[in-house]
Amino acid sequence: MAFHKINLKINGVLEQVDVASNMTLLGMIREKLALTGTKNGCSAGECGACTVLMNGEPVNSCMVLAVECEGADIVTIEGLAHDGQLDPVQRAIIDSGGVQCGFCTPGILISARALLDRTPQPSDLEISEALVGNLCRCTGYLRIVDSIREASRM
Amino acid sequence: MATGTIKAKIPSPIGESKPRIDAQIKATGAATYADDIQFGVGLLHARIKRSPHPYARIKSIDVTKAKSLPGVKVVVTGEDFPGYIGLYLRDRHIFCRDYVRYVGDPVAGVAAVSEEVAEKAVELIDVEYEILEPVLDPEFGTSSNAPLIHPNLADYEVASFIFPKPGTNISNHFKIRKGDVESTWGKCAAIVERRYRVPHIQHVPIEPHVAIAKLEDDGKLTLWGSSQSPFAQRNLIAQCLGFSQSDIRVIAPYVGGGFGSKAGVSMESLAVVIALKVKGRPVKLLLTREEEFYTTFVRQGLVAYFKMGCDQNGKLLAMENTFYWDGGAYTEYGVNMTRAAGYSSSGPYEVPNVKTDSYCVYTNHPVTGPMRGFGMPELHAGLEQCIDELAREKGIDPVEFRRINCLKTGSILVTGNQMHPTGLPQCLEKVAEAIAWEKKAPPSAPNRRRGKGIAMMWKAPAMPPNAGSSAWVELTEDGRVNVGVGGQDLGQGAFTVSAQMAAAALGVPFEWVRVATPVDTRYSPYEWQTVASRLTWSMGNAIVNAASDARRQILDLVAEAWEENAENLDIINGVVVSYLSEREIPLKNMVIYGLPKPNDQGWMGGPIVGRGNFMPKYVTGLDSETGQGARAVVHYTTGVQAVEVEVDLDTGKVYVIRGVAAFDVGKAINPEMVKAQMEGGFVQGLSSALFESLQLKGGVVQNPSFVDYRIATSADVPSEIQTIIVEVPQDDGPWGARGIGEHAMVPTIPAIANAIYDAVGIRLEGPPFTSEKVFLGMLDAGVVK
Amino acid sequence: MINPHPGLPEFDYFKPASLVEASQFLASHVNQARPMMGGTDIFVRMRDGVWTDKYLVDVKNLDGMNEILFDPSNGLKIGASVNMNRVIASSEVNRNYPVLAEAASKVASYQLRTRATIVGNICNASPAGDTTGICMLLGGVLNVHGVDGFRQVSLDNFFLGPGKTVLQAGDIVTSIQFPLPPPGLAGRYIKLGRNNSSDLAIVGISVVGFPEKSTQSGYRFKLALASVAPVPLVVGNLESILTQKSINDETLTEAAQAAMDACNPIDDVRASARYRKLMVRNLSLRALKEVWEAIKQ
Repeated sequence: MAFHKINLKINGVLEQVDVASNMTLLGMIREKLALTGTKNGCSAGECGACTVLMNGEPVNSCMVLAVECEGADIVTIEGLAHDGQLDPVQRAIIDSGGVQCGFCTPGILISARALLDRTPQPSDLEISEALVGNLCRCTGYLRIVDSIREASRM
Repeated sequence: MATGTIKAKIPSPIGESKPRIDAQIKATGAATYADDIQFGVGLLHARIKRSPHPYARIKSIDVTKAKSLPGVKVVVTGEDFPGYIGLYLRDRHIFCRDYVRYVGDPVAGVAAVSEEVAEKAVELIDVEYEILEPVLDPEFGTSSNAPLIHPNLADYEVASFIFPKPGTNISNHFKIRKGDVESTWGKCAAIVERRYRVPHIQHVPIEPHVAIAKLEDDGKLTLWGSSQSPFAQRNLIAQCLGFSQSDIRVIAPYVGGGFGSKAGVSMESLAVVIALKVKGRPVKLLLTREEEFYTTFVRQGLVAYFKMGCDQNGKLLAMENTFYWDGGAYTEYGVNMTRAAGYSSSGPYEVPNVKTDSYCVYTNHPVTGPMRGFGMPELHAGLEQCIDELAREKGIDPVEFRRINCLKTGSILVTGNQMHPTGLPQCLEKVAEAIAWEKKAPPSAPNRRRGKGIAMMWKAPAMPPNAGSSAWVELTEDGRVNVGVGGQDLGQGAFTVSAQMAAAALGVPFEWVRVATPVDTRYSPYEWQTVASRLTWSMGNAIVNAASDARRQILDLVAEAWEENAENLDIINGVVVSYLSEREIPLKNMVIYGLPKPNDQGWMGGPIVGRGNFMPKYVTGLDSETGQGARAVVHYTTGVQAVEVEVDLDTGKVYVIRGVAAFDVGKAINPEMVKAQMEGGFVQGLSSALFESLQLKGGVVQNPSFVDYRIATSADVPSEIQTIIVEVPQDDGPWGARGIGEHAMVPTIPAIANAIYDAVGIRLEGPPFTSEKVFLGMLDAGVVK
Repeated sequence: MINPHPGLPEFDYFKPASLVEASQFLASHVNQARPMMGGTDIFVRMRDGVWTDKYLVDVKNLDGMNEILFDPSNGLKIGASVNMNRVIASSEVNRNYPVLAEAASKVASYQLRTRATIVGNICNASPAGDTTGICMLLGGVLNVHGVDGFRQVSLDNFFLGPGKTVLQAGDIVTSIQFPLPPPGLAGRYIKLGRNNSSDLAIVGISVVGFPEKSTQSGYRFKLALASVAPVPLVVGNLESILTQKSINDETLTEAAQAAMDACNPIDDVRASARYRKLMVRNLSLRALKEVWEAIKQ
C-alpha cells in the first residue's frame, strides 16, 4: 500500500505527516498528531462527532482521506480558541448548559463556528438546519441552538 | 446568632444553577475519554469474531491461520474461560462455550499490533456451527414448543429476589397478587383490554463502548473504559475470573453518554480475557457503531397485555397485566427490569386490585440491559394509553381521570405500602395548565390535524436493597477542597452537584471544591453504580456525611484551640468563625498542619480527611407470590409530560409542536441542570416514540447504523420544551433531593400516542409512530383515503 | 449480520495530473481502480467490504471540474468537483435554476454536502439520489472524458440499474450542463424522509412545469421519482396527461394517480411498497399543485 508524505496546516501550524493511503483525516488527527478532541462516533459520516474545518468548511473527517489534505488548512476543536481566549461559540455553549457528556461538543462547535462565519445572524431555523449532521443524545439540542444564537450576538 | 450577616453574604450553592465544572474542558476538546488515552507503541488492538447465527451449537473453532498472521499476538476463545458472569443472574460466559445465542455473540478474540491486522485475523478464524431453531418472540418463548435457550438455568447463581423457571425460557417471573381482580370485573362500569408491543431500541451513546485492559506484571489487572460502573465491573469480573476484587483496578474517565448501556459488564470482559493472555501489554477493544447497535446492551422488547376497569365515577378498581419481556440471549441484567416493571405495574395510580405477571423471557435476540427508565418507558407506553382509553370510554376527560386516580401522599401502592409525600398531583395541574389542556388550537394548514396528549409516570431506583455509596473529603493547604466519589458524570452533571453539596455541607464557596476524577477504584471511594438516577440522593448523602465529618473535625480542632464550644463555631465562606467571640480563622494551612497548642506546648489536629457513606437500611423484600412488602423501594420520582402535535394527513408525519414536563425532584440542587435533564429526556423519548426500533428479522438487526436507525436531530425537536420543577422534599434526600435523570424520558411515548389519538383518532399497537405507520393506520381506519 | 470493518481496507491512492492520465489509468486497471470525488459513497462500501478496489483515483480538480459557469445564451455548466454547498449558494443557480438548489439542499447534512457533488450523486446512480430527478427534468447532459476523448451523454439514457450506469472503464464525468430553462419554468423537489432532515429519501418527487403554447393545455409538466424504481423514474404518461388536458385539480389528481401507477417500489428496511406508492400519489399532487400555482397565468 502506498504511503504519502503530506504537508498541511493544522490549527495554524505547518505539519508534515507520513500517512498510508487508507488513513482518514480523522485517523491522522487522532493518531499521528495526538489531537484527541475530534471524536470517532460512527466512521460513516453520519454522526458529526468528527467534524473539522477543511479550508474553512466543515467536513466529516472520517470521510476524508488524510492524503487528500495535501496543502489543506485544517482547524480542529483545539484550534478554535484564539490566543487563549475561548471562541464565542465555546463561551456561549458553556453558559447555556448546552454541554452534557461533551462527546458531540467539539463537532457541534466546529459546525457552529462555520455557520456564523458564513451567516453571521442566522435564524433559529438556519441554526437547526446547520446542525442536522451533528447528533446529540444528551441535550435535546435546544440549549445548543440557544448558545449559537447568543454567540451570534457577541 | 450574632454573625447571621456573614452567613447571608454568599447564597448557599444548593438550589443555584452553578455552571458545570466540566463544561469548559469539554468545550475545548481537552476532556479525556477512554479512546483518547495514549498508551504508546505497546498498545495492542483487539477485534472479535462473532456469531452470524441467532442460535447454534459451536462444532469447531479453527484459529491456526489467524494465529500465524504476522502481527497477531494472541487468539482467545471460550475454551480457557469457563466462568459465568452476570449482575443479578450469572447466565453468560465471556466468550461462548458450546453455544452461540444471538447474532453477534463473541466466539473468539484477537489481539494484534493494529486494528487492521486484528480484523484480518478475525476473518481467518473458521467456525463451524450446527444451526439450531431460534426463539424470536417472547410469547412463543414461554410456550412448551419453544426450544430451550438455557437448559442449565437451574444451575445459574441468581439473586434472591429473582425467580427463574428452570426447564423454560423464563428467567424471571414476578408476580403481583393484590386484592381480588377476578371478582372485581363485574363491578366495573368500564373495562379496557389491550395489547401493546414495544420494540427493542438502543441507547445510542455518541461515544461507542471502549475498554482497555492490561494484566500487570504482578498479576493484577487494570481496566480503563467508558464506564458507568467501575466498582460493579471490578466485582463482576473478579467473581467470574477468580480474581480478588482488590486485585482489579478500574479507571473510568469521562463518559460520552451511557443511558445504561455502560452499566454492568458487557464488552469490557472481552478486553480483559484477551489481555490475560498477553501479560504486560494493554489491549484495546473499541466497538464500531454497528457493533454498538447490537452487541452490547439493547433495551428490552415488550409484549404487554393490559386490562383495567373503573367504577361509575372513574375510580380505578382493577388491573390485570401480563408482560412478556423479550430479554434476549442473556438476561443477567434484564431480569431486574422485569421485576421493576412488575412492582410498578399499576402505573402511578392507586388501584385496589392488581394481578400482574411479568415474565423475562430468553430469546435469541441481542442482549438486553438497563436503558434510561429501566422498564418504565416500555411499561408506560401502553399503560398510559389504556388509561386514556378507559377515561374516554367512561366519558371522563383524561386529565380529570388522572386527577381522580393519581397517587397522592399516603396512597396505597401496588406493593401494599404507602406513597411518601409526592408532588404528582401538582405536576399534573401545572402541566395541564401549561399545555392549555382545555383549549384546542387550529392546525397550521388544511392538511394537518392538531392534538394534545398527556401522560404520567413514576419510577423508583431499581437496585439491590443494600446498594451503597461512599465519599471522602480532604482539604489542601490553600483551603481548597477535594471530594472523592465513585459515581460517574455521564453528562447528567453528577460531578457538579457533588461539588455543590460538598461546598454547602462544609461551608466553603462552590468554586473551591474539586471532584477527584477520573474515578479510579484504587483511590476513589466505593459506589455501587451510576444508574437508577440514584447519585444525587445516595452519593449526595455520602458526600454530605463526609463533608460533615470533615467539618466536625475542623470545628473540634478550632474549639480546642480557642477553648470554646464547637456548637458556637461555624464555617462560612471557608472561614471558621465563632458566633460567641467573633474570632475568625481561614481554613488554609490549619487543615494540613493543625494548630499550635498554647504556650508552645506542641500541636493539635493534623490533615483533615472526612469520610462518609450512605446505604438505605429499610428496604424489605417482596413476597414471591404476591409482590407485597413493607417497603420495596427507597422512593419514587413522579412526573407528567404533555405534548401538542400536528399530524400531516398526506404523509402521516407527526410533528411535535410543543412539549411540557413537570417532575417532582424533591429539591433541585442545580435547577438548570435538572431542566436540562428534562429537555434531553423529552427529546430522547420523542426520538423513541417517532423513529426508533431495532428491526429484527430472523434474529438479525437489519438497521445497525445511523443511516437506518434514525435518532432525533436538531430539526426534529419542538421549538419549545417547557420544564417545570416541583419540589416536595424526600425525607432522606440531601436537602430533600431525589433523582430525575431517567424519569424525563418515561412518559413521552404515551403522551405522543395520546396526542395522535386526539388529532386523528387512531392508535397504533406500539412505537415508533413513524409516518408510514401513522398514515397506513389512518388509511385503514378510513380517516384518509 | 451487518458488521463492517472498523477502518478502510488497503488501497493505493493515486492522483493523476490530467484527464488523459486519469482515463488511461482507469482503463488499464479495469475492475481494480475506481474514480473518486467526495468519497462519501466509496468509503462506506469499502468498509462494508462490497468494493475492494486496489486503486482510488482522485479526479477532483482536474481541468475545469471546479467551476460553475452560467452563460445567458447557453445555460449552466457545473463542474464535477463542485460541492453541493457551492451549488446551493451560487447566485447563478438560484436565479436561473432554483429547483436545483432546492434539491441539493435536501441532501444529507452540511458536512456531507461539503464533499458531495451533483455529478457524484449522479454517477453513484442510487435510486434514492436527491438531485438526479431534477437534473433529468432540466435536460441535464454529462460531459464525459474517456480513453477516446470527450463525449456527451444525456441523462435520459444514463441509468441502467441501482449503482449501474453506461459509463465504461476510463470514463470520468467532468461536468454536467443544462440548457436554458424554458421561460416561466418553476420546479419543486419534495423529499420524504423518516425524520425531518438528513435522511435518505423514502420517496423523492421532482417536478418542473412551464408554459408551452403549442400544447393543448398550454403547459408542460415533467415529473421524476426517486426511491421507487431501480433507476430514477420519469413518468412519461403524466407529461401526456398534462399537455393534453386543461390543468385543474381534477387533472392534477389524475396525473398524481398516474405517477403512483407508474412506479413499482419495493419493501425495504426504510419503507413498504404500499406506503411508497401512496406517498408518490399524495406528494406528486402536492408538488404539481405548488408548481401550477407558480406558473399559471
